[in-house]
Amino acid sequence: MKIVGHKLSFLENIYLFEIVRGLVITTRHFFYNMFFHIAHLLGYQQDVEAAVTIQYPEQTIPVSKRWRGVHRINTRPDGSPRCVACMLCETVCPVQCIHIVAEEHPDPAIEKYPVSFEVDVTRCCWCGMCEEACPVDAIYMDSGKIPKAGYSRQDLVYDKETLTKEVPLPGYQRSLNPPGAGAPKVNPMGL
Amino acid sequence: MFIDVAITLLKIAFVFGLVLNIAGILGWAERKQSAVMQDRIGANRADILGLRLFGLFHPIADIVKVITKEDWIPPGGDKFLHTLAPFLALFTALAVFAVIPFGDTLHIAGRDIPLVIADLNVGILFVIAFGSLGIYSVVLAGWSSDNKYSLLGSMRAAAQVISYELALALSVVGVIMAYGSVELDDIARAQGQYVLGIIPYWGVIAQPLGFLIFFAAAMAETKRTPFDLPECESEIIGYFTEYSGFKFLAFWMGEFIEVIAVAGVVTTLYFGGWQVPFIDSQGFFVPGLFTIPLPHLLVVVIQVTAFILKVCFFCWFMLLVRWTLPRFRYDQLMGFGWKFLLPLAFLNVILSGVIFMSFEG
Amino acid sequence: MPTLVIDDQKVTVDPGTTIIQAAKKLDITIPHYCYHPRLKSVDMCRMCLVEVKDIPKLQTACSTQVRDNMVVFTNNQKVLDARRSVLEFLLINHPLDCPICDKAGECMLQDFYFQFSRHTSKFKEKKQKKHKVVNLGPKIVLDSERCILCARCVRFLKEVVGTEELGIFDRGDHSEIGIYPGRPLENNYQGNLADVCPVGALTAKDFRFACRSWFLCQENSICPGCSTGCNVLVHSSERSYDKTLRRVYRLTPRDNDEVNQSWLCDVGRYGYHFVDDPDRLTAPSLKRGEEYVKVDWDTAFREVAQRLRGIFERYSPSSLGIIPSPQLTNEDLYMVKKFFNETLCITNIDFKLPGWNQGQGDGFLLKADRNPNTMGAELLGLSGIGPQAGEIIEKTRLGEIKALYLVGSDPARYLGEEKIASALSRAQLVVFQGSNYNYACKFAHAILPGATFVEKEGTFTNAQARVQKINQALRPLGESLPDWKIILGLALTMGYYFPYKAAEDIFKDIAREVTGFSGLDYKKVGDKGIKLALSGG
Ligand code: SF4
Ligand code: SF4
Ligand code: SF4
Ligand code: SF4
Repeated sequence: MKIVGHKLSFLENIYLFEIVRGLVITTRHFFYNMFFHIAHLLGYQQDVEAAVTIQYPEQTIPVSKRWRGVHRINTRPDGSPRCVACMLCETVCPVQCIHIVAEEHPDPAIEKYPVSFEVDVTRCCWCGMCEEACPVDAIYMDSGKIPKAGYSRQDLVYDKETLTKEVPLPGYQRSLNPPGAGAPKVNPMGL
Repeated sequence: MFIDVAITLLKIAFVFGLVLNIAGILGWAERKQSAVMQDRIGANRADILGLRLFGLFHPIADIVKVITKEDWIPPGGDKFLHTLAPFLALFTALAVFAVIPFGDTLHIAGRDIPLVIADLNVGILFVIAFGSLGIYSVVLAGWSSDNKYSLLGSMRAAAQVISYELALALSVVGVIMAYGSVELDDIARAQGQYVLGIIPYWGVIAQPLGFLIFFAAAMAETKRTPFDLPECESEIIGYFTEYSGFKFLAFWMGEFIEVIAVAGVVTTLYFGGWQVPFIDSQGFFVPGLFTIPLPHLLVVVIQVTAFILKVCFFCWFMLLVRWTLPRFRYDQLMGFGWKFLLPLAFLNVILSGVIFMSFEG
Repeated sequence: MPTLVIDDQKVTVDPGTTIIQAAKKLDITIPHYCYHPRLKSVDMCRMCLVEVKDIPKLQTACSTQVRDNMVVFTNNQKVLDARRSVLEFLLINHPLDCPICDKAGECMLQDFYFQFSRHTSKFKEKKQKKHKVVNLGPKIVLDSERCILCARCVRFLKEVVGTEELGIFDRGDHSEIGIYPGRPLENNYQGNLADVCPVGALTAKDFRFACRSWFLCQENSICPGCSTGCNVLVHSSERSYDKTLRRVYRLTPRDNDEVNQSWLCDVGRYGYHFVDDPDRLTAPSLKRGEEYVKVDWDTAFREVAQRLRGIFERYSPSSLGIIPSPQLTNEDLYMVKKFFNETLCITNIDFKLPGWNQGQGDGFLLKADRNPNTMGAELLGLSGIGPQAGEIIEKTRLGEIKALYLVGSDPARYLGEEKIASALSRAQLVVFQGSNYNYACKFAHAILPGATFVEKEGTFTNAQARVQKINQALRPLGESLPDWKIILGLALTMGYYFPYKAAEDIFKDIAREVTGFSGLDYKKVGDKGIKLALSGG
């Protein structure tokens, strides 16, 4: 380890002036910000920021087009989830936060569908592997949303209905298939 | 007789009402001021019916939260002392205000009402005495918690407070020498004089070095950053680790009241107390030129307001310092107290003595 | 004895052996679909082609018998190319169903595709559409598109079961497996079809979509369905227990030439549902007035011990009756015998409730005696000490027996509810120890939850006197405990100490004390079990 020394000058050494310097800086910030806070209150100078705070959840920062937000389940043209309950996302998920219960679908062409599809967002590490694994492009993380706080753990386990209702963030790069456009051609065995 | 008691009670109500309210608001101010200083917005989420009022409801929310919390006493602790300690902290901090004059003598309905709760002739000694009494609450809190870390924390706090008390007391000696009295009312009154005819003869003019020493030592006494080693509840285990709920709040309030007390004492000793430059009981005047007479009541109101504003300014200033400077290391703290402030205070006493002697002579 | 060389390794086998069997001896697996070791070879899938030196064309390993000095290559380029082509043909019409196919993960088509082929389809024409989700009967569903027409299912029903319900209909690429009109699968061995089918064409309704195969853990066990004691694998997972209340997902057969070969009957195969049934007893409970309150084990033991002792002191050991069940393991039964009979000197112990072995056998695997451990109970002497179990119940009705302790048995099933109600309501103390709620629990003063066969370790002795081991696949549900541990705890509360830490310790004592078991331990029992040397038997 290299220790980089900094030799203090005499004035720095007696601290007093440094303390005053520090106080001047903070005081300047105080009065500057105070001025604009009051100006904002009176309706002036709205375009000058008085604070860098983002008032989440009312305000959010714009997210990147590749950013992984709360999961979303793509739908078939008839609005039912596109998921075929193959549980590949559940398998690949490194933190085991997806829970699916599959059942027989009355339509033999669909055959299998999830009766319950839950994502426990308290456990999710936002790795996006579920999105990669899905053979029918059913699960996307393109909602651009951060999960909100909840009053119980169960509030943060998103069920099938919630996930189906989410809409994609416009322009998200992974949205190769717009919602409701039907299952894309997939080729899990390369055939 | 009866009317005297009533007047005293009124004064107590006025002073304590003011102090406790400022203390409550300081909790809010600390959050907001630090936020503004750091380009943030600060706590603003507590609302009543959607009304947020710049987060002014946060102190209320705090109180509600703290009161509904479990009041926990360590099973092995001393119940009585454990309960006593926080109230002792509150009491010693509040008692100081008894001797701080907040205005000139009020003449009303043929009575002379001094605007101070108790015009003790030991004045400043009383302030110092109660300041040092404060360490009992610290030591008792650590002792009664049945926790060796709390005990160590309280020892640390006691060592710090005692170390800075010396410098504190010595710096005041200069003021006593300058005005020739230990009575705070006299000191405040004496600051109404003028040097060279126009400069108010305030303590800070007479004792610039003394003021710095006093202010630094007093900050250390209040146990706030940069001297907050005894507490800093989030990082170091201090004497009130085992406190929760309302008693924890009592310590917290005690600390804010101490801040106001220090602001009050600094104002009284070094910043003219209730004096407003160029206003005296006769009215507004420019020395040696003219005088505009003002009604007595107006003058008193101006003076009391001035006092309150000065106190508020020092509260603000202490928050500013608290949010600007980083904390001392413990050895630096002790070194600063014993090797720097104390010799400086001695030097100040000797220098002041020499100067005053030479002026008088 | 012909000696041949397979992939540069020499092996000597019996005459008449096929190449695929010879290769197996060398641990060389030759990929195949239609070949099944217990069915006749039919050469249908062409997957097992291998090269034999000096024969110009590739040969099917499943039907070519070995000759002396034969040289076989199972892995050279020619063979690999052939395999690739076979796979390409098989997959021409195969749907892309793997995500929803129950077989995925254990599908031979998937495995071999990834191992040998990985081709991109050159098939430009339209895929042949066939029937999906065809209901073949109460237990099996067919998906014709996934079928590779290996005819294993047809041959299984013909050669093993003999019912011949399935056949291949139509010709060429229209060929489909199917049933004859009005003749659904009804035999008791159709569960095996889902195992026999190398792909996901035949799937079991019981398992369908319940779980993906890769989530399952497997543990060796013994089917508790009847006294044959078929060797099984318990497939379990606690993945979604809280949602579906299911932990055991299926039982599949485990090869054992002496017992069940590679098959399992449906009674046993689908008889495991009691393990995760909502009527499982999960916490010790005591009757307080008309209510049952859940208590911890210590409280339950104290209460039962105190009341048992009270009855002992007021009456005599003959006022107590114990009815164990032949569903219990040897270890459990040994504890019952050791504690109640040998220590407390109770002689009213018997497991033979009237009608206990009156099921319907079928002459193949399923036996009339539907208990896995009748032989064990007999050998351990849990019958014939005193009165028969039926008499014990009768005596209870007459008031001669004041306290009845049921260990895993369900008397109402054999004797009818009225009889049990009239007998048990007269007893001063009824203790029910077992895994699931049954009618007798209504009268129990104390209910002690026992673990099921997948939740404990132990041994069963089947009707051929073969000792076979069950292993623990899951943690006991709730607070339930293996039965031997419950009796151990009760004994300890009553002041009797037995130095057993695990089922294995008990088995060692059984081996020491019970004739027929002598010299055995868990290691000797092993995965396949061991037949007891019984004199005269
Ligand atoms: S993003 Fe990763 S952690 Fe989250 S559900 Fe998907 S696979 Fe699981
Ligand atoms: S991977 Fe896709 S289709 Fe499969 S279960 Fe997950 S969301 Fe459904
Ligand atoms: S049978 Fe095998 S290859 Fe075919 S869909 Fe099922 S898992 Fe996939
Ligand atoms: S259903 Fe299965 S076992 Fe029967 S022929 Fe088709 S692939 Fe073979």
